[in-house]
Amino acid sequence: MDAALTLDRVTKRYGAFTAVDDLSFSARKGRILGFLGPNGAGKTSTLRMVLGLSPPTSGTLNVLGAPDGRNVRDRIGFLPEERGLYRRMTPVEAIVFLAGLKGVPAPEARRRARVMLEAQGLGEAQNRQIRQLSKGMAQKVQLIASIAHEPELVILDEPFSGLDPVNQQTLETMIRGLAERGATVVFSTHVMQHAERLCDHVILLARGRKAFDGTVAEAKARAPRALVLEGALEAVTAAALPGVASVSDHRLDNGQWRQTCRLKDGASGQEALKEAFAQGLDIQRFELREPTLHDAFIVLTGEAPDAPAEEASV
Amino acid sequence: MRRLLKIAAREYVAYVRTVGFWLSMLALPLGMALVMGASGYMEASAPPPSLVVIDQSQGQRFLPTVAADLTGVRSPGAKPRYTIVPSPVALPDDPALIGPALKPWLAGDSRLDGKRKLSAAYVIHEGDNGVAIDVWTENPLLGATESIRRAMAGQMERDRLVAAGVSPGLLDEARALTPKVTDWSPKTAEKASLINRLPGVIGFGAAMLLWSVIFTGAGILLNGVIEEKSSKVLEVLLSSATVPEILFGKILGVAGVTFTVLGVWGGVGTLLLNIFAPAQAAGIGQVLLSGGLIFYFAFYLICGYLMYASVFTAIGSFCETTREAQTLLGPIMILLTIPVIFLSQALRRPDTPALEVLSWIPPFTPFMMTARAASNPPMWQVIGTGVIMLATVALVMWIAGRAFRAGALSTGKVDFKGLIAKLRGGE
Repeated sequence: MDAALTLDRVTKRYGAFTAVDDLSFSARKGRILGFLGPNGAGKTSTLRMVLGLSPPTSGTLNVLGAPDGRNVRDRIGFLPEERGLYRRMTPVEAIVFLAGLKGVPAPEARRRARVMLEAQGLGEAQNRQIRQLSKGMAQKVQLIASIAHEPELVILDEPFSGLDPVNQQTLETMIRGLAERGATVVFSTHVMQHAERLCDHVILLARGRKAFDGTVAEAKARAPRALVLEGALEAVTAAALPGVASVSDHRLDNGQWRQTCRLKDGASGQEALKEAFAQGLDIQRFELREPTLHDAFIVLTGEAPDAPAEEASV
Repeated sequence: MRRLLKIAAREYVAYVRTVGFWLSMLALPLGMALVMGASGYMEASAPPPSLVVIDQSQGQRFLPTVAADLTGVRSPGAKPRYTIVPSPVALPDDPALIGPALKPWLAGDSRLDGKRKLSAAYVIHEGDNGVAIDVWTENPLLGATESIRRAMAGQMERDRLVAAGVSPGLLDEARALTPKVTDWSPKTAEKASLINRLPGVIGFGAAMLLWSVIFTGAGILLNGVIEEKSSKVLEVLLSSATVPEILFGKILGVAGVTFTVLGVWGGVGTLLLNIFAPAQAAGIGQVLLSGGLIFYFAFYLICGYLMYASVFTAIGSFCETTREAQTLLGPIMILLTIPVIFLSQALRRPDTPALEVLSWIPPFTPFMMTARAASNPPMWQVIGTGVIMLATVALVMWIAGRAFRAGALSTGKVDFKGLIAKLRGGE
């Protein structure tokens, strides 16, 4: 079997609120799957069902060959969205304890903890209490604790939240390393840039339903390219250019306008630009902008990935 | 089981490494030593209260008896309870004016020789209806009044009988008469010994021990789970171990902490008892080992601890602060105070109907059945309450498991209505 994780028509309801609605997807072994959506889209509920912390209302799951994560918990690594470790433990003690729960003998867990902490630049902090570490350091420790038992499936719920750009970069490297080692990584995020850089495969989730399932390139192809023009030209003039589907305008500080022209499918933008110059329009700056995953998300779901959504208390 | 033991070991080590654990360990012996030392010091250093006794009776006939009673010592080497001092001022003959004349000394505005305060003035005089005592004091709880009353009553009785022709020698002989009291054991039909009386005391002690184990152990568990919930560790644990492994790992670990403290206290106590009172120590050991009483106590101790610890742990899983927990803990705390009210009664009358009825109510069963050990409750009651207890413990642990899972994953404040809803839904 090629999939480490499969969900088939999974639904999760909390009373009258449907957190996850008829969700199906697979995560291929050894790949990085991004589970994307705004807050409240159903990401955490889905991951909790995968881990067996919460049963689905309907539908079936296959987690490393088991109906949920409970029977294969020693083969799964999990980093929850809300991070926490025993504050009075040292990083080594915390890693040894959590890896021990996953079946790693203490001497081996201690050895791995020291190696991994050294690799992440936490060698000097390994014997300090966790309450004395910075937030970024503590998050690294928790990630190490969740993967020290060398799991086959790594589930990371919003792993980048709260990290500064340097630590985000470090974490991206760690996630790539996991996949290179052969682990399947599923991580949820509402920050599209991370998914764009890391993922082989993305699932876009909105209001509990799957909006897209495919590669990053396929997702981006669903979003239109845009031609950005800045100068003393009005929206109606830009909208009349060839290949332009629609225009949104924005007044700049210098009194000029930025016209963001959404291009029609198949339009390259060259025709519109050529026509603009031919008409002698006052254009100070132009840019042909390729769609991002963020743009694709908006097109595919009709909402912004960082927009707050209705949340259930679970 | 591996995970359960790892969680228990972590829990145990986490507490044993804290300063609070060692303070708790030393608190009782130090506290007891402090209380005993302070009370002994106060006894030794405080001078006996000073009293003025004015006897206006004919021939001052009460003064020698009263003075002997107040200043007499009850054991060799002890200090007299009171000191009788002469009046610091010339007093009027009218008894009603004696108190006002001594007011500055009684109120503390003026001091006796040696800067001592006058604690009370007693005026014995012939009233309209016989001999009377007027007491002038700001401290009605002083205790000397009753001593004076008893001493004078004895003197008056003696004077009256002597006046009626009874010889003083016969009176002294009559007063020396007293019955010999012998306690018999209905069980052995022999004289009751310390061992016959010990089960009641031990039952009471074991019930109080259970109560304190539950109170301290469950409190530690509650705070520990609240800390884990607030620091978001619970969700990590839930992804690494089953709910029963986490729940019972914690309960076992904290039980280890509690019993370590009690074990040390018990060990030190046993050692001291063996040194200073070996007969009592041997008696206690004999009682605990006879008739399987120690297993009887252990059964109720384990059941009671499991039941309350499960409830406290489950409640803790819903709360991120102790303030939140207090709302949910109110009814449990009321339940826990009820046994304390009845336990002292169990010491005197362990077979009262109220205790029998309470024995059948599971939240009270461990305390009541332990305290009733001395009265040898009927076997059918032991078995019946034991079966109900076991069933209740199983039910409570099952509900606590569901509650713990729901609580660990819950967010926001939870009231009772929300708690019941989550228990029904299981999440």
